[in-house]
Amino acid sequence: MNMKERIGYVVGGTLRSNLRVRLTCKPDTVQEGSFVVIDGTPYLFYSLVTDLQLGATDPRFADEQFEQRIDPRLAQMLLGQTLYTNIEIMPVLMQETAPDDQLSTGDEISHPIPVKTIPEHHSIVRMAHQGDIEAIFGSVEKKGNFVVGTTREQELPVCIDLEKFVKRSSGIFGATGTGKSFLTRMILAGLIHENQASVFIFDMHNEYAFDRNDPDTGGRITGLTSKFKGKLQAFGLGPSPMVSGNALSSLMIAESDIEPEDILLLSKELNLRETTDATLNALFSSKGTQWFTFFKGLEPGKRITIDEEGEKTEFAADSVEGWARDAGIHPEAAKALHTRLRKIFNKDYIIADNKKAQDSLKTIIDYLQNGRHVVLSFGNYESDLDYLLVANILTRRIREAWVQQTNDYNSHHDKPKPRSLVITVEEAHKLMTGEMASQTIFSTIAREMRKYFVTLLVVDQRPSQIYDEVMSQLGTRISGWLGDDADISAVLSGLSNKDNLRGMLAHLQEKEEVLLLGWGVPMPLPVRSRRYDDEFWQTLLKNKSKAAGNQSESDLKAVLGF
Amino acid sequence: MHEMGRILRADITSCVVGTWFERVTEPYFGAMVRILAAEGYHIFGIVYDIQVADDGLVRQLLSAEGLDPLILEDNRRNRNVPVEISVLFIGYLSEGTILHLLPPRPPLSLDEIHVCSAEEKRAFTTASASFGYFRHLLRNEDLPTGELLAAHLHDLGEVNSPGWLQQAVQELIVLLRDDYPRLMALMSALGDANLLSEARQ
Repeated sequence: MNMKERIGYVVGGTLRSNLRVRLTCKPDTVQEGSFVVIDGTPYLFYSLVTDLQLGATDPRFADEQFEQRIDPRLAQMLLGQTLYTNIEIMPVLMQETAPDDQLSTGDEISHPIPVKTIPEHHSIVRMAHQGDIEAIFGSVEKKGNFVVGTTREQELPVCIDLEKFVKRSSGIFGATGTGKSFLTRMILAGLIHENQASVFIFDMHNEYAFDRNDPDTGGRITGLTSKFKGKLQAFGLGPSPMVSGNALSSLMIAESDIEPEDILLLSKELNLRETTDATLNALFSSKGTQWFTFFKGLEPGKRITIDEEGEKTEFAADSVEGWARDAGIHPEAAKALHTRLRKIFNKDYIIADNKKAQDSLKTIIDYLQNGRHVVLSFGNYESDLDYLLVANILTRRIREAWVQQTNDYNSHHDKPKPRSLVITVEEAHKLMTGEMASQTIFSTIAREMRKYFVTLLVVDQRPSQIYDEVMSQLGTRISGWLGDDADISAVLSGLSNKDNLRGMLAHLQEKEEVLLLGWGVPMPLPVRSRRYDDEFWQTLLKNKSKAAGNQSESDLKAVLGF
Repeated sequence: MHEMGRILRADITSCVVGTWFERVTEPYFGAMVRILAAEGYHIFGIVYDIQVADDGLVRQLLSAEGLDPLILEDNRRNRNVPVEISVLFIGYLSEGTILHLLPPRPPLSLDEIHVCSAEEKRAFTTASASFGYFRHLLRNEDLPTGELLAAHLHDLGEVNSPGWLQQAVQELIVLLRDDYPRLMALMSALGDANLLSEARQ
């Protein structure tokens, strides 16, 4: 080992807690979260720095400033020997080192496994180098590996395995301004480029599809459709959607697609009462999928005369109160719900023409099932109400299509295997919060993992607001800086070594640093995230042509959007 | 190299040498000395004390008045009691090998003792990279360790390289870093000895 790489040696610690290492270099050479390797025998221990501590053989050496009392050179020598820095490191993975004869014969070298023992005293600790990064996170050259960033100290590229990434739902978190959207764009670009899965993006703020100006720098941000023409189709909500001057394919929602749970999810936005659940159940029980159309058609307060003189009246059967009377629902509850649902009745993207709406939805599903990708821009419908309603309905319908295809595939061997689908959900906490969260389609997808080949990519700034069960099911988690303790705890839910990771997460730089976590990455690691700029696209497109050269005909067709 | 005296008494760690007034100018505090033991090996030591004891005649002379300077000089040079030089053993040379260990046996009475030459000093102090002989100097807490080491290193700085001197200081700091008072006394003494000054290098 090059002595310049050495940063210290093991002086103590336990398997359950952490190992202590005496630094032999300047303290600022390492940082919390640095990726270090213990050169033990016969194992390499891949570890993370979790803490740095200043120490002294006697506290008095640290307390006094000797330069003023004795010869400065003597003082320097004295302090060099009596003051020291220890680092705490958390070994995460270990790998058997290959004997020289094994290397020469080309025998299979062991893979990294979770740490089960500890190195000897005085084992040498060094910074990880390119080979270590590749041993853990994979080679940049390997198909399916996507460079998500670089190590902070040596700027070595760190990959995530996209094939593994799409096997479970994932999350990208970070406070506002930490670069979540840029990172999401890059990962989506990687998924599209590597053809690992079809991607469906709920683009609430119209920022993924088309080029736009960066409000912070004034520069131009490249939209995904600019780089993936033919592979990625942009849809817009409403009858004639336009985003950034671009006309989009229209997506309409059929009234028959709206279910009571879609309305319950909007309890906060519509200020619904506790009686809503019973009213909706009565509507759905009596009218089935036509409940929405039926309820919309009722006239509140409409009365009819019931005697010949025309003096006695009662609520008509096609009035809200009349239906409530007949269904055994309190008229005021039904009336209140009808009043509140007017916000939805008036939406012009919800139409009674089921065929027209179903066609646009079917087009989207066909695109996705055939290996293409879809961005749904919300255009001017940027309210939470629009987003929650449409995201819930569409996701449910898309999943139903995948469930059907998966069941066909499982029962008939000649049916094609469903293509993996990643549904990207921004502002996810709005869709997965509170008591209702466990019943939404998003929780269902998160729990199912990849049973039906559909997973979520959750993008959010308030992970603490997301239902615990969903959070704990997220495989890969990529988190930027979070200021709130509850948010940090939420990102770490279901993971081991939370206390160590908490510090790393809290001390990330506000921009361009993220922590990779969870099942989808071999070990946690803070990285400097890749920049979303021209260089990113040049690198990606260069690899694209290289990757295309190694693909089969069917893969190539998929890449080209056929 | 002149004989500077002979052994008066000795044990396994140290000895006392008797010498005469006119030879007292040769050994000095912190000087390295060599004893040719009767059994053929050479014992190395460091002078850590020089005692000029009184006797009855000196006491009488001190109380007398108006003494002739010639009488004073005569009593200084021709004393009944020798000047005693205390030497701490720090190693020995046997069959061409220098060891920073205590000698197998102490020297015998009246064995000769010599001040080391520059070559002998260099050979002994560079025989081991680990400065093993320092432990003999640090073991006895009654010794003026700081002063003794400062004098010794000052002496050795003349014959060894600046790099050796720095390594020696580093080693002493390592050996004493858990003993704050002694280390600080040593640092203070080393500072006063101006050991690492530009001029010396």
